[in-house]
Amino acid sequence: MQGMGRIAVGCLLGWLLPGAGHLYMGKRVKGLVFLAIVTLTFAGGLLLKGRVYLADREQPLTYLATLANAAMGPMDLVGRYACYGRILFVNPPESDHPAYQEILSLKRARILSVTNEYGTTFLLTAGLMNILLLLDLFDIGIGRKR
Amino acid sequence: MGSHFLIMCWFSILVGAFFGTLTRDTVRDAVRTGAVLAVSMVGISLIIAYIMFFLPLGS
Repeated sequence: MQGMGRIAVGCLLGWLLPGAGHLYMGKRVKGLVFLAIVTLTFAGGLLLKGRVYLADREQPLTYLATLANAAMGPMDLVGRYACYGRILFVNPPESDHPAYQEILSLKRARILSVTNEYGTTFLLTAGLMNILLLLDLFDIGIGRKR
Repeated sequence: MGSHFLIMCWFSILVGAFFGTLTRDTVRDAVRTGAVLAVSMVGISLIIAYIMFFLPLGS
């Protein structure tokens, strides 16, 4: 597979598993190092009681943060399940609805942890690292980078 | 892990290793760049923390 198809497959693999795109492109050592670093950063975020963001219409910046988290691919789903007990991308509308109250109490439980902000930063950083890896794959694919 | 300093070191090492690997092609260059980045992040943080120690907390 040549050209854009190869780049697309590499980026898809990279999104599914950090570093897998580099392995696919023949960068074995870099791929394994990236897999270890990004996975450790993500796992550190969960260990430090970080929380993944939920998109909230009232707070537009949460869309960017949610996008950064979602860049981790399937790992992000694990993070969402670990944080909220379900796979959720959008904050439930503010109301007396039980789902909203449940999510709010889960968020509060995490925020009360002294390492919550660090963990949240780790989780965001892992996602941003993977976005950079996808851009790097694109550069490798078009020959801009060796 | 509850130590703020250790968490900062952990974060700096991971980010340094990431950018070292991303921007350099040889292992030697990657390790050197990663180490410089990690030590710089920790060092600059400590300098800023030291300066902020003298700033008043406010009313």
